[in-house]
Amino acid sequence: MSNWERLVWNQRDALLSGLGVTLEICFLAFAGAIVGGLLLCLVRLYVAPLRPLAVLLIEFFRATPIFVQLMWVNYVWPEILGWPNTFFTAGWAALALQSSGYLAETFRTGIEAVPRAHRKAALAVGMSHVQVFRRIVLPQALLTAAPSLVNQFTVVVKSSTLVSVITVPDLMFQSQKIVNVWYEPIEVLTATAAIYIALIFSISQAGKQASDWLRRTYGLQG
Amino acid sequence: MSEALKQSLDLALFWEYRAVLLSGLLFNAGIFACAGLAAIVLGLTAALMRLSRTRPLRWIGTLYVELFRNAPDYVMLVWVHFVLPLLLGFALRTRVEFHPFVSAVVALGLVYSGYFAETFRAGIESVPKGNIEAGRAVGMSEALILRRITLPQVVRRMLPEGLNIFISLFKATTIVSLIAVPDLMYRVSMVTQQEMQPLPLYTGAALTYFAVIFVVATLLRRAGERWRLGTLI
Repeated sequence: MSNWERLVWNQRDALLSGLGVTLEICFLAFAGAIVGGLLLCLVRLYVAPLRPLAVLLIEFFRATPIFVQLMWVNYVWPEILGWPNTFFTAGWAALALQSSGYLAETFRTGIEAVPRAHRKAALAVGMSHVQVFRRIVLPQALLTAAPSLVNQFTVVVKSSTLVSVITVPDLMFQSQKIVNVWYEPIEVLTATAAIYIALIFSISQAGKQASDWLRRTYGLQG
Repeated sequence: MSEALKQSLDLALFWEYRAVLLSGLLFNAGIFACAGLAAIVLGLTAALMRLSRTRPLRWIGTLYVELFRNAPDYVMLVWVHFVLPLLLGFALRTRVEFHPFVSAVVALGLVYSGYFAETFRAGIESVPKGNIEAGRAVGMSEALILRRITLPQVVRRMLPEGLNIFISLFKATTIVSLIAVPDLMYRVSMVTQQEMQPLPLYTGAALTYFAVIFVVATLLRRAGERWRLGTLI
């Protein structure tokens, strides 16, 4: 029986459940980041009194390393806010915070790229401000932001490996657990690295195809 | 609850350990400098391979870039620290062990060379072909053309993106604490175990990194932009 069979194939249940947790935490974090980023961006652009606060939060989330944020959310937040109360929640919350800062800027670039004339035209035909945002600005902004969104998702997957440090049983955690049982790291860690690289490569390729398609189908600019 | 908030904002404990923590930050800076240098050299090499006219070289360059650009930092760090020495040991038939500092520099250097390679490639491809042909016409060698015509333009064009990669690299140096390089985060966790007060220490660490990265990034962006515009136009 080869080492690969003993250490990787026979441990596939643990590794697959880890992969499941990785995907779950990444999707939760990214959904949270989209909501948080859009909120921060809208406050920054349209709510003048709260603008300095939004800018401060965006810059703080962007300029703090993800590992530091993870530790901070995991150790400090439960004491101050009483939340998050599980490691899993702390994991996705920290990932979401960091990405929300980046996505806020991505959305802002997208919104600011929408020509002023479009907004004026929509107002002129009698749309309300909410309608203008929802029907004219947001679709175009998302089109501009699509490649950066995909890119940010790959960053979330890469950063998600760190949640293993706070004992969230993701793929990295499971693989290190196997290493600690057998003390034979070569096969397990190489397989884990390969899985992550393949996952992230497919996401960025699929994202490239998808945003090319979006651009061809709905895009105004080439 | 407000007690906890007060405790986390009372940074006296963080200040008390300033000497220890500051020398930890120097480890971050050291790894950043070494890994950054390695990433630039390896990244430029990979970019030139990807653009080479020899097909096998192009394949190797592409494989290299896609491999390291898509690898998570932490996974690479663990792989380089625990697997690479064993593989080298088999190859050289001796016992090889990496100092955590070396593993950190190698892992981060490899990952970030992948990002740099793509930036270099985009920069090199944006240099007008006529410039290079003009260099050849006046009899410059390929190496001289690269050094005197291509690279000066590439550096200016890739500066904003390059700065972003450097900032990411500095942020990534915080994870080296996980293989026991005594950087700022490592020392924070050590002091936390001693004092049993995580709140001020982790808040202090977050604020310190934020201050350092935000100030340095803003200054560099401004200086870089001025230099770029001053020489381009």
